[in-house]
Amino acid sequence: MARVDVRGEICPRPALIVRQALSDLDTGETLVVRGDYPPAEENLRRMCTTHGIDVTTAETAGESGEFELELRVTEMASLSEA
Amino acid sequence: MGTDGDDETTRLTEYTELHGCSCKVGQSDLDSLLADAGLTGENDALLFGIGEDAAGRKLTDDLALVSTVDFFTPIVDDPYDFGRIAACNAASDAFATGAVENVDCLVVLGLPRELTESAAPILAGMADALDAMDGVIAGGHTIMSPWPFAGGAISAIARPEALLTSQGASPGDRLYLTKPLGTQPAMGATRVTDDQFVETVTDATDRPLDQIESDAIEWMTTPNRDAALACREYATAATDITGFGLVGQSRVVADRSTVGIELTHLPVIAGTPALSALFGYGLTVGESAETSGGLFVSVPPTATDAVESALDDADVFYRAVGRVTAGRGVSLVDPTIEEVSR
Repeated sequence: MARVDVRGEICPRPALIVRQALSDLDTGETLVVRGDYPPAEENLRRMCTTHGIDVTTAETAGESGEFELELRVTEMASLSEA
Repeated sequence: MGTDGDDETTRLTEYTELHGCSCKVGQSDLDSLLADAGLTGENDALLFGIGEDAAGRKLTDDLALVSTVDFFTPIVDDPYDFGRIAACNAASDAFATGAVENVDCLVVLGLPRELTESAAPILAGMADALDAMDGVIAGGHTIMSPWPFAGGAISAIARPEALLTSQGASPGDRLYLTKPLGTQPAMGATRVTDDQFVETVTDATDRPLDQIESDAIEWMTTPNRDAALACREYATAATDITGFGLVGQSRVVADRSTVGIELTHLPVIAGTPALSALFGYGLTVGESAETSGGLFVSVPPTATDAVESALDDADVFYRAVGRVTAGRGVSLVDPTIEEVSR
């Protein structure tokens, strides 16, 4: 399972880093993203759901704002079109 | 653009994690805070207050004082432009109520020690912006702060009956927006400067990024005063579009007017939808934070010709963006996305 750590990254870089990592994956493969910037979580979810990437929360944030998202590339994935 | 002559290597936006109105505390968190503090009720001493863009106090039968405060972190690197945007954004909350006369600004400024040289150009930008609004800087307060921020406490006056709040929208009213959306993706693109992603961002849109940035700065430094003057006679409710975005601000109007809002048309800065899709910002569903955005006003159908004529005469940008319904909440009804270039 591929992993990417965007902790310490400021928007819009988390979305760009995650897109790049997703583009290396095939349908059905998953990517785990760890971040610590609450607005990034919402932006990543929005970017993924509008481009055919399934999002599940592997771990929710505490006071620190940290989050972990599990992203799965579906047959509908269309990241290259944006 | 800027005229600061400051050290060009200084990047104000690198000193914060949130930029412009994106640093605004979220709507639900703010509601919880006010409820926890017992600050949810009406105050009989005021015409309007908490929950509105500004507070209004009736001083005499002919005179009301409107006061508000707004400050935020840098959304641009140029300190002079930052000052202009901060002043326009702060004054906009007063203009949204229709108060446009005798505009005084008390500056609220915080800077880290490394950025103290930016203070003068930020203040110069604010002073020039206030001057263009027939306003003045009347004082202020400056502190040391790890994150830079700037803005001001604004006061302005109007006749009490001229004032607008977010509470007057009625079913059937038409909704107007006086600036295109998209400042968040436009300015987000300017923060991507490393070799790893510059090409990705540049290739995402057919429009040169510097033109998108330039348009965004022009809109953010456009005062809402002329729009307020043109609209206030005809509008039933008004607010300005800031950190909550178009949908979030529409929700405020819908809730406080106890109506529904349908959004059908979203004017956006040309090139920003592609950037928003790249960054996951939600511009085309009205969820992208705006900095120093336009006025959002409801107008009865009988007054739409008059308000459009007044806005045309004042040379103010506007678009009809939706309508008020007898329902509740905010919905986007297959919205047209119109890309606007200056």
